[in-house]
Amino acid sequence: MAAPETQLMLSIGLIEKDVNADTLWVWCYPSVSAELREVLLSKCCLTQDSQGLNTFVFGQFCRTWYYISTVEVQEPTALKKVTHFSLVVTAKDFNPEKYAAFSRVLCRMYIKHGSPVKMVEGYIAVLTKGICQSDENGSFLIKDYDVRKAYLAGSVKDVVSQFGMETIILYTALMLKKRIVVHHPRIEALLEFTRALPALTWHRKDWSILHPYVHLTDSELENLRTCTGYVAGFVDPQVSNRPDLFDVYVNLPDTEITVSQSAKEAMAMGKLHKDIGLVIVQSAEDADRTDGQVIKDISIKTREILANLASLAEDCEDSKITLETLKQRHFPPATENFLFHLAAAEQLLKI
Amino acid sequence: MDEVDKILIHSLRQTGTDVGKDVQSVKHFTSELIVEAVVRCLRVIDPALGSGLCPSLPPGMSARFRVGMSLAQACQDLGYKGEIGYQTFLYSNEPEIRSLLMFLVEKLPRESAEASDQPAGKSALLQKSIAAQIKAQLALPWLSPSCRLPLLCKTQNPGPSHSFHSQTLSLPHCLKVPGKKQLKGKPQNTQDPHNLLSLDFLPPVTAQPSQHASVPASLLEQHAGELSAAQEWENEWNSQGLLSRLTPEEYRSRKRARLQKRIEEQLRTAAQTRPDTLGAHGSGSDLTELLQSFGGSPLIGDILAKGTRFTHTEKFTFTEEPEKAAKQMAAAANSLPSSHQSEEDLQARQQEELASLQQQLQQLSLSLEEVGGDMRQLTVSIHQVSDELKQKELSNTEEEDSVRVKKQTIYLLPDGENNLAKLQALVEGSAERVVNLAAQWEKHRAPLIDEHRRLKELCSNQEIESSRKLSEIKELHEKISQSAEEAKKKEGLYKQLITEFENLPKDISRSAYTARILEIVGNIRKQKEEITKILSDTKELQKEINSLTGKLDRTFAVTDELVFKDAKKDESVRKSYKYLAALHENCTQLIQTIEDTGTIMREIRDLEEQIDTENGKKTVSNLEKILEDYKAIRQENSALAAKIREA
Repeated sequence: MAAPETQLMLSIGLIEKDVNADTLWVWCYPSVSAELREVLLSKCCLTQDSQGLNTFVFGQFCRTWYYISTVEVQEPTALKKVTHFSLVVTAKDFNPEKYAAFSRVLCRMYIKHGSPVKMVEGYIAVLTKGICQSDENGSFLIKDYDVRKAYLAGSVKDVVSQFGMETIILYTALMLKKRIVVHHPRIEALLEFTRALPALTWHRKDWSILHPYVHLTDSELENLRTCTGYVAGFVDPQVSNRPDLFDVYVNLPDTEITVSQSAKEAMAMGKLHKDIGLVIVQSAEDADRTDGQVIKDISIKTREILANLASLAEDCEDSKITLETLKQRHFPPATENFLFHLAAAEQLLKI
Repeated sequence: MDEVDKILIHSLRQTGTDVGKDVQSVKHFTSELIVEAVVRCLRVIDPALGSGLCPSLPPGMSARFRVGMSLAQACQDLGYKGEIGYQTFLYSNEPEIRSLLMFLVEKLPRESAEASDQPAGKSALLQKSIAAQIKAQLALPWLSPSCRLPLLCKTQNPGPSHSFHSQTLSLPHCLKVPGKKQLKGKPQNTQDPHNLLSLDFLPPVTAQPSQHASVPASLLEQHAGELSAAQEWENEWNSQGLLSRLTPEEYRSRKRARLQKRIEEQLRTAAQTRPDTLGAHGSGSDLTELLQSFGGSPLIGDILAKGTRFTHTEKFTFTEEPEKAAKQMAAAANSLPSSHQSEEDLQARQQEELASLQQQLQQLSLSLEEVGGDMRQLTVSIHQVSDELKQKELSNTEEEDSVRVKKQTIYLLPDGENNLAKLQALVEGSAERVVNLAAQWEKHRAPLIDEHRRLKELCSNQEIESSRKLSEIKELHEKISQSAEEAKKKEGLYKQLITEFENLPKDISRSAYTARILEIVGNIRKQKEEITKILSDTKELQKEINSLTGKLDRTFAVTDELVFKDAKKDESVRKSYKYLAALHENCTQLIQTIEDTGTIMREIRDLEEQIDTENGKKTVSNLEKILEDYKAIRQENSALAAKIREA
């Protein structure tokens, strides 16, 4: 249990802002590539002078998750000439709560001692033993933070309460591994919303499609393009002028979902979708059910459809579906279209 | 007094008073002259006041008396504060007349008020002379063409006016001044030696326009263009150029590059929006060719080539359409019937063509659908395959990693316990080493970061300094330009005033007056100094006198006591006491006499002064005149009374 877990952390780094209003990448261990460093500097709120402090942001770049906690330095401290600093932790897995807690411990150490050596000690302790003594009572244990909890931390109920029946569009897009782009001017709202979306396809438990904080820079967009389907969050409103980046565009402050022209044909919806949509909405509106239960309900429905598809596949040769087999069943055209694309997404289609 | 009189006489002459050449001073003014002068002055000062008065004295005594009274009243109305009455005019004396005339002359309106606020500068002068000329010309009455004199013809004909027609002029290229055009008008045919003189050199600017009438217009436009370009450059350089801290040439070249880039971008975006629309291929390709000639062409090609398979195939299918249609049109054109065939044949043929075309259409749409379906299938399968590929790659790497770890573990497995302990020790050892290294690195890193911060601070301070200096430089520039303008203005004013001064009439030498006045001022100052000296001397003397008197009294009192004490006993002492008392009294009397002498001398001086003034008043002659006039008035009175009695 300990060994594969602890190999998930990749590095830690420090970004400081000093009294000259100058932001520098001052330290890292063991090492961070120049490209990633650039990306991290752009994500850190200290380089963006207009906004206030974002205490904790996270995101993904080239299959590396990064977690940035920013702290304002207050007395008493051993740090001279530093007004703010950000601690960056990069890792392979998605677990914001774990890394947020860990970052807090490390930040307190840094403020108190003023030297990153203590941070290295804590980091290595977690890396080798999975436990780190914190200055306050208690210690940080890795095993307190299960990845399932991270997956379930996002609130599907909030998503459904905001979009209502339109949640089915998001569900369809996720099932068919399409590209969803979400926009909101505030990063916290963006992170909260987007992390809940992959839970709609719980059977895959794949959060690597989540890119919650992306800027419109070449390197990051290159990285996005290598993924087939993704959920990407943008703070920049200019992203709506880039129809080449998305199949579904979600304008969060205005609560609008638009499907781009090129994807309209694949995302055509019919009775099947209506059914699923009703299930989702009813389950979410029920005040007695928790988020976990809602996710469970949705996944039950999903599994039904997939079971159906699997049974179709078994009837064919190679257990792969072709368009002809689908046409033989005389499904309504929208359902047929959906099943066809779903088969491709689930790798059941004959090539 | 001479100067004052001369000035007075001059001013009176200017008001119109006929003062004879031999009259040099106010002393020689007769009553008639006085009255005339005062009336003319009053007329100039206040026409309403002076219009009722007559400049000449009437012969009758009572009339004279009346005139005197009214003049006195008028002067008092004007504000003359001195004592004035009919006697001032009829029985005048010098000082009163002088003060009255000075008062009146001062009251005369100043003509120099207009001259003081003349605007300076050549352009103002030019404008004023233009205005004067136009006024003069407008003042002339319009005459019909046949009656005009040749001079008027020039100004009243519509001929001279031309419309504002300008042509571009060529100027030789000058390296020092920015913005001048290149040398145009290079020799057209250098091979022709005969025309060297005419073609090798640029014709003068006045000969360049085709019509002589457009010369002023062209010159004005050229000059205005150059002036505005120079001003714009000044403004831009002072605002942005200095801030960019580049030399003028660098700034200019950068600006040129920037503008070129912008033009390119604009053209590029315009070209990119075109390729989507049908039928705009022609213009789009022209534009892309143009852009390729600018350089940076690969970008355009990439963007055009990057479209998805869909758009490419779309293009292909659509380009097929027009080709096919063109072919069919050509075929149809070839099979066009000649005019002499029958109409029915024509119709039948057209029907056939229609049917065949419709069939083709159907076939094409079918094939389109098929192709569409194929494409969909293929894209979807591409998606699936790429997805699979990615997942397989990822799982591959993961499995490789885990295989590696497992291999190591297997290798260490036989001696499990020991190896585990060893591993743990190894891990702890490396952890310690890492921490150690981190501490050492920190020792190196911290000073470097501090140094970096310190230098950054220095840099920003220097920036502040340099921007402050830049603003100072700007201020200095402004001051320089302001001072230059002021100097120019003042020089212009000076030249103008000199010309005016030279044109002024030289009848009165102002410099003589000013020299005299300055002399007088100097004299007065010297006198004042002397008076102050005398006063201080007097004070000193008085102090001395006081102290001596005091000393004297005290000495006498002491001596008196001393001697008196001894006087009771000794006879000689008594005698000396008497002598002392007598001496004291005599001296006191002496001093008193001296003081009285001084007072009397002062009184004598005052009286002598009074005598002089009274002498100047011509009292005796005035008295005689008064007696005569009195007699004349009595005679008139009696004559009038007699007339009344008779009537």
